[in-house]
Amino acid sequence: MRTKHARHKSHHSSNHRGKHKHRTGRLASTKGRRHRLHRPPGVGVGTGTIGSSSPMSSAMVDRLFWRAGFGPSAEDRATWTGKTVSDLVDWMLSTPAGSSGVPGTDSGSPLDPTGNDTDLVLNWVDQMVRSTNPFVERLTFFWHRHWANSRESVAPPQLMMTQTELFRSYADFAQNPTATFKSLAYAVTIDPSMLRYLTGELNVRGAPNENYARELMELFTLGVVNAAGQPNYSQTDVEQLAKALSGWQINDTNPDAVYSYFTQSRWYDGPKLIFGQFGNFTSADAVNLVIGHPAHPGFIVNALWGEFIVEPPDPSTLQTLIATYTGGGYQLKPLLKQILTHPALFDSIEEPNMVKPPVVYVVGAMRALGVGVTDSTANDYLDDMGELPYFPPNVSGWEGGLSWLNTDTALARFAFISALLANTQIADVPGESAAAAYERAYMATGEPWLAPGTAAAIQSFANGAPSSSADKRIQRQIALRALILAGPDAQVM
Amino acid sequence: MTEKPSSTEIHALRCADCARSDSLVTDLAPTSRVAIPAEALLGFPDGVPRPRRGVSRRGFLAGSAVGIASIYSAAHLTWESIWDAAAARAAGPAQNSLVCIYLQGGNDGLNAIVPISSDQYPGYVSQRSNIARVLGPSSGTQVGTTVMPGTGSTLAFANPLVSGAGNNGDVKGFDTLYGDGSGGPGSDLAIFPAADYTPPDLSHFDSRDYWFAGALEELETGWLGRWLDTYGSSTNPLQAISLDSSLSKQIRTSTAPVCAIESLTNTSFEITNTNIDANAEVANLAAVPADAANLALTRSRSIYGETVEVSNRLSGIGSVQVAPGYPPNSDLSANLQLAATVLGAGLGTRIITIDWGSFDTHGDQVTSQDPQLSVLSSALAAFKADLAGRGIEQNVVTLVFSEFGRRIMSNDSVGTDHGAGGLVVVSGSSVRGGLAGEHPGVQGDQDGNLVPITDFRTVYQALIGEWLGGDPTAILPDGPFPGIQRYDSGTTLMK
Repeated sequence: MRTKHARHKSHHSSNHRGKHKHRTGRLASTKGRRHRLHRPPGVGVGTGTIGSSSPMSSAMVDRLFWRAGFGPSAEDRATWTGKTVSDLVDWMLSTPAGSSGVPGTDSGSPLDPTGNDTDLVLNWVDQMVRSTNPFVERLTFFWHRHWANSRESVAPPQLMMTQTELFRSYADFAQNPTATFKSLAYAVTIDPSMLRYLTGELNVRGAPNENYARELMELFTLGVVNAAGQPNYSQTDVEQLAKALSGWQINDTNPDAVYSYFTQSRWYDGPKLIFGQFGNFTSADAVNLVIGHPAHPGFIVNALWGEFIVEPPDPSTLQTLIATYTGGGYQLKPLLKQILTHPALFDSIEEPNMVKPPVVYVVGAMRALGVGVTDSTANDYLDDMGELPYFPPNVSGWEGGLSWLNTDTALARFAFISALLANTQIADVPGESAAAAYERAYMATGEPWLAPGTAAAIQSFANGAPSSSADKRIQRQIALRALILAGPDAQVM
Repeated sequence: MTEKPSSTEIHALRCADCARSDSLVTDLAPTSRVAIPAEALLGFPDGVPRPRRGVSRRGFLAGSAVGIASIYSAAHLTWESIWDAAAARAAGPAQNSLVCIYLQGGNDGLNAIVPISSDQYPGYVSQRSNIARVLGPSSGTQVGTTVMPGTGSTLAFANPLVSGAGNNGDVKGFDTLYGDGSGGPGSDLAIFPAADYTPPDLSHFDSRDYWFAGALEELETGWLGRWLDTYGSSTNPLQAISLDSSLSKQIRTSTAPVCAIESLTNTSFEITNTNIDANAEVANLAAVPADAANLALTRSRSIYGETVEVSNRLSGIGSVQVAPGYPPNSDLSANLQLAATVLGAGLGTRIITIDWGSFDTHGDQVTSQDPQLSVLSSALAAFKADLAGRGIEQNVVTLVFSEFGRRIMSNDSVGTDHGAGGLVVVSGSSVRGGLAGEHPGVQGDQDGNLVPITDFRTVYQALIGEWLGGDPTAILPDGPFPGIQRYDSGTTLMK
């Protein structure tokens, strides 16, 4: 089954470095006692001991804010540590995105998202950075990755923005608490951006264009094969589904008011055979048929689960989630609540075990440093890291998982933090000791998770760094923040 | 291993594969010279004492004089680089390399290599009248064809692939690489008109995964990744490079280090506004052991470490040396120029992958595909000349493929839907040019797709067995596959 998390299994694990080394014990440093990594985990690591009504340790608060948002602020930690998982997940699933701070700018000018594509990207990053409830933007971005459309072949840009608004309305459960995947699927099927990107607007009676029909099943709702490896549909199903989906066009005369419309004469009016059923099916019928396909619930449950949790759900968990999803008429909120409160989300709580996608890494670092959008930095480095919003590599979106990290993207991740720090005012503290310098850097970077060995290595750098002048102390401070926020440990959540 | 190191001096530089790289570095004065006692090698720290490229450590020690390492910068003073330089020298002359160009989206091979025999051409035209090529020269909006020598006038190149004014501009194209199609000198382009797997499932993503994995399932490793795991270096990430911000699935490995690079600038970790050696600090962070069960953290640290390794090995390579003849303003040209520069630097690079283009031509195919065919053919010709100018062309072969071909019958969007039987070409003066597989004709299968003639793994099998070296059945599951069956009855891919 082709799901986001199933792809995580593919990896290049060049373990030749670690292979011949003995694992050293955890560093029992007392210097780092104040650091969150040394705090007692609070609740046992074993997944069986974490319940949705257990009080959360700060590590658990961090985990939820990273997996379902863009990392915690100090205030988030203070607010939620000691509260239950359920409390926090309920808040995420019932609170509008909100917005704080000043709107982003691009080198002094207001963002112009329909005027240039850099600002289109920055505009979304700005919303992510400033959102009060980060879950809304996080899930909105998930939908963009799931129904991946690229500005590369979608014009005018208003189409992409309108589509993002559509996704947002299926991520903001304060606004739309009973949102279903089924209604989302229909809305996307006739969404102007999708009609343009997958050439649905060219799908005309007498000349069916299979493009959207195939991807609707393969990538968006079913997968090529089911859990048992059997095909979910045939080439005939693709062709017949394309006929049902025909007839839609786009009116983009006014780019700010683009809409799709149906023309009866362009629709294939006649019987179709889809999944063994005969009928004069329409687009709405087509969506009902694919959503009603037995492979669909497992497909979408796995896709959503894999966004938040590393290991796939065990069979009984999968069945429970499927029952919630289908029993609730394909509603999203109850399913998301069950996934986000599942103990598996807190696996390996002492040592984060999921790679941060670039968007999460970038927005998370900006939030941690308190940096807003003021120039194209975020856009440029997201591109280098391989996840430029609105520009997925193809209709299957970004592969993600371990594949985010390679020798090229590691440089980009490091350089991004360096660029952020270059735009940050960093004061000299005369006479500051190495330990105090480390402490200041750690606090200024939002007290992120670091393994004990990593913290020790960075402290060791601080101990050896020259500090005889203001310039040297500032360099030491910049380097400390870079090593904390841009090193290997900062890449996991 | 055919040669033992002849010198008692081991240059601790990136790779001593060829004299060229030696000369690049030995012009410099070493900053220090370090004696290497044999005991030091016996006490090699993690990771080095293991057989690689047929050079066992024992054999190396027995056959070579462990002498002096010339150190050109502190960055080179690692056991890995010393061992690599010594082992590469022990391994003998320059090794063969493979450059893989993946045409993204499913290239319509049927409009690239056109069946023009009297029993095929009418069927070709009738099934795709809105995009069909015409016989003979191009005129107006009609795109013409040029007969492929040695095919008995049954096949023709679409003119965007062909050199000369009016076709591909005043540059070289597939026709010049293909020559007379005999496979003799000057006939250096092998063509498989319909290579694929059966039955085709028409999915971009499955098909692509199969081609990358060299198997009819999605595997954790690529076909070239498994080759690297078995026959490659365990220390040199530059042995396989994706010229991209993402690593191709073709070179995903289990253990062998590989890398992705986008350019030769900004190849090291740097912290702006400081003069701190960030590479050294990052190397320390990367060396912190991680729980192997934590794949994400393990990968993060190992990738950071490999990035430092790549950075050290690339230091001093300079910028991309631009050779003439490449089509301008093309990502493909830029990447091939980068590839030629890296291959010419003697860094031990065996595999380079390039993803290029946008060939998913469901609509308006001709205006989209033809300019790309033109760039592809002239870029391949320029690349070959570029490599020849560096004296390494005979050691480089280029493979071009796509995840599938397209439907024989065009659609009313003036494009084609997903099909089967895609075009594969293999280029290089070591390649036996000509038609390396039959054309299936336009009768099609029950879904109206070309009937694949050549299993794509037949091509991989030949590339491993005849070019990269090694046992194809150890790399490609479900093999052995049928051998090459050439139009002229030949059975080899290489000359």
